[in-house]
Amino acid sequence: MPIDVQGTFVSQKINKVRWIPEDYVETKCFFAGSWDDDENSIKVWGFESPHEDEEVEYPRQLSEYPVDGDVTQIKFTEKNKIAVSISNGDVKVLEVSAYDKHTPLREVYHWKKLHNYGENECSCTSLDTLEGDIVSIGEDGNIHILNGRRGDVARSITGADSCSLHSVCFIKHNEIITGNLRGHMKIWDLRSPDNKPTASFLLAGDELASTCIINHPTQPHIILAGSESGSLAVWDLRVNTFPTSLLNAHSAGVTEMQFHPENPNKLLTSSVSGELWDWNMEAMTKSSKGPDGQLAWLSLDDKNTMMVNSLMPKLHKAINTIHCDKGRILCGADNEAIYLIKNLKY
Amino acid sequence: MNNLNMDLVLFRGNGREPASNVKTFILPDKCFEKGVGCAWRNGNKFAIYPRSQTPSKTASTDVDNKILNIRQDVLLFTSILRKLVNESNGTYLLLQKAAETAKTTDNQVEFLKLSRQYRSIIRVCIENLQEALSRVQDGVEKNNLLSYITILYSIECIWHLCEILYIDNIPGDIVLPYLLEWVRFHFPCHEQTASHLLEACERGSEDHQDYWITVIGMVVQGRVDVARALMKLHSAAETNEFKLVDNSLRSMPVYSVYGGISTGEFTITWKHWQAECRSKLSSGVLSNEPKLELIMRLITGDFGAFSSIRGDYTSWYDLLGGWVMYTAPWARRHELASASAACAELGDALSNSRLDRAIRALLDGDLYQVIHEIQQMSDNGWFVTHLTDILYHCGKLRILDKHQTDVTNRLRDSLILDYGSLLMEHKSLWTVGLSYLASCPPEGLRRAELILERMPLKTEAKVMRVMAEAKKYGLVDVGVSACVCQCAVQGGVGRLGAGVAWAVRARSGAAAGRAAHAALRRYVRARRLPAEDLLLAAGPALLLHDTLLFLGKYCDFHRLYKDREFKKAAQLLVSLITSKIAPDYFWETLLLDTLPLLESDEPVFSSSDTYEIMLCLELKPAGLDSEKADLLRLALARNLARTVLSEGGENKQTEDGKTT
Repeated sequence: MPIDVQGTFVSQKINKVRWIPEDYVETKCFFAGSWDDDENSIKVWGFESPHEDEEVEYPRQLSEYPVDGDVTQIKFTEKNKIAVSISNGDVKVLEVSAYDKHTPLREVYHWKKLHNYGENECSCTSLDTLEGDIVSIGEDGNIHILNGRRGDVARSITGADSCSLHSVCFIKHNEIITGNLRGHMKIWDLRSPDNKPTASFLLAGDELASTCIINHPTQPHIILAGSESGSLAVWDLRVNTFPTSLLNAHSAGVTEMQFHPENPNKLLTSSVSGELWDWNMEAMTKSSKGPDGQLAWLSLDDKNTMMVNSLMPKLHKAINTIHCDKGRILCGADNEAIYLIKNLKY
Repeated sequence: MNNLNMDLVLFRGNGREPASNVKTFILPDKCFEKGVGCAWRNGNKFAIYPRSQTPSKTASTDVDNKILNIRQDVLLFTSILRKLVNESNGTYLLLQKAAETAKTTDNQVEFLKLSRQYRSIIRVCIENLQEALSRVQDGVEKNNLLSYITILYSIECIWHLCEILYIDNIPGDIVLPYLLEWVRFHFPCHEQTASHLLEACERGSEDHQDYWITVIGMVVQGRVDVARALMKLHSAAETNEFKLVDNSLRSMPVYSVYGGISTGEFTITWKHWQAECRSKLSSGVLSNEPKLELIMRLITGDFGAFSSIRGDYTSWYDLLGGWVMYTAPWARRHELASASAACAELGDALSNSRLDRAIRALLDGDLYQVIHEIQQMSDNGWFVTHLTDILYHCGKLRILDKHQTDVTNRLRDSLILDYGSLLMEHKSLWTVGLSYLASCPPEGLRRAELILERMPLKTEAKVMRVMAEAKKYGLVDVGVSACVCQCAVQGGVGRLGAGVAWAVRARSGAAAGRAAHAALRRYVRARRLPAEDLLLAAGPALLLHDTLLFLGKYCDFHRLYKDREFKKAAQLLVSLITSKIAPDYFWETLLLDTLPLLESDEPVFSSSDTYEIMLCLELKPAGLDSEKADLLRLALARNLARTVLSEGGENKQTEDGKTT
């Protein structure tokens, strides 16, 4: 079946979308967090087909949870719990009922003004989760490690960066990587007591922010970062500290990246330029074996061999977020619409 | 501050209808007691305040010392209509692209497609509103929704007619089939009854109370087949009278461009047919069947007959299709004026609503009047902007001012600029507004610049988005000013590193200098160097400003010192001192930093270095208080003693040569 794109206008600019995982059936419901409006909220939506036999599904709003500020990141800590970072500096853990998605989200934990400039408000720009642990970062340059099970702050690295931090990712349980406004990446060992990064390097020479970081699902030493300029950097943490590849990809900032959960050779990226791309990374991993017999990632000059497809006609406004589950991709954009892309081959 | 939420309709002065467009709102009297003042705020907002105030000691809750913020209540900002705004924006941008390509190739089909897209957007919006209507309980809310629906219905109706008359490519310009379709689509009365009756298919259907109204409705809508089928269900359908009428309806010639006959030929056949009908009518055979007689009179285009049924319809344009069909079925697009005039005069209830006038003007081909009418609709200019734009691109719009100069361009631009500026006011819809403004260069971009510069930027994410948008449209200054602002904001909350980073982004020497000064002052005060991580990795960005460069180098000195590379640290420090770019307030720190190095076990300053430091110390007497200065002099003297001795005689001679 060909790829099928279907958009729904929702009267809110969507900054994050996340499928709510289901056990044995196809995912039907998702979270959507809005931004840059007078009133923002996290909504739970569910797809319904108005007529039983029809293929077309329309999302219907099931519940709404208002937040005071932009929703900057949503990540799962457990199957039905999400950690949410908000631009007023708060971090919340919210729970959606496993049985009835119509019931409003329940607040499990709430760290008020976790990120702040003293009295002044400061945005919590992103967070990442790993099995119940949460790491949050903010414009104040601080890193907080939160325990999503007990609800306490396990560790704080204050003054981790003199610039505002914009992206974060868990590498291991005890290791995180952060990226700041200038594309300065730092790796932190959470076991070491002093607030010093174990390594640091620059994303690119243009001094633009790193907007998102992810690691490869099966080769965790491979780290990818998206830049405000639209380029994509790949590091192999075992080898060295400068990017193995720096790909000029989108024409404007990369907003979110995701490896396909079922096929680690497939990478999806979205951009401020309104593009949604599907990368075939197979060529990048397969082609060469390093001297130690391990897979080596290709270097910069071979980037032409990459297979990149556009999944959707270019939008006139920024696409802020993507989330993929099997053959179905959700994306949220600044034109106040949510798109469902079906029948993706993976 | 009170926020009064009002629906302000501002008077648009184009002179045609003055007073009726002015609405009056009553503000609390006390406002005006002390002389009222008024000031514009951003967008369609203004504030009213008492001009002279006597400060009252007790905090009063009266209105007299309050500022009233008055803003226009913008319909388009309601949640459901925001979908319309966003979706139509996509179509609008596609249209601009299509217009770009239409310059080289004919692109009429593309325009028609986009016009249909607009209409389907309106249709979806109406459906959404109806769905919402079925859910609300609140009376006020219900009324609001109803009025939105009415507005959108009129918009859809006018747009469709406009599409037929100006955008669609009609073969041979014979407009009748399209006109009938339009009437059927927008005024689907009787349709349900007809299908109901046909489905039941019972003889003697005339017992149904709406039987005749439905039959006549079908005749008037040009659905002759349906009318005939319905007449067959009459219990007297086998009588001669019925057969006569049925025969007349059946034999009505229908014109088709592809039928192979010329218009002239068709006209003759048609007139012949109508004359036959008239003769049947005048023979009086139908005098016993008034309803059948009415049908015959209608199909002969009898004004009186149309007039008599006008009361059964809400508007004159319900009858327009029928009138054209039975008086001039060969009418071309531009020949509809007389038909519309005739229809409008039907009956005695002379309706003069906005929709009436807009449709009249449309049929008359007076697009200026159409735009004028739809501009008055309370949809905040959504309709007039998009319709004018598409007509403009189709090349169908030509508006002349009183000096007969073509102002079409300016009219379109001014409508789009107004609409774009309106959307820019909204916190979330600013990107949409921006894309409208950007499609009207150069003025649109200048406006966008002014509005963007004044937009509140609370988070860096938004700053970055504003910069991305500014870059997209080439508004370099906006990007720079956003960075400089952000630099100041970060400096204000004590985030000097971020301040420097934003200054570097702005490529603004002044801002970088300010940030660097702030960092140095903080060091003087707190002895902690901010933003070390940034400065050590900054590279060429430091060249933006002397002070920033100094700060970077000074930071480097600290790093060297910490790494116990005293020789290199000392060299760097001397070069910092001798370069004399250090700000005055920093001299004390800089000179005192030499102390530990002077006292180190190994001498790290050469004698010439020591002379330089001494020179600077004497040249900047204000830098140090005397006690510290003496301490430093002592250290310098001791260092000099060490170094002069250790340095060789040859070296010493050159030193002498230099100093003398």
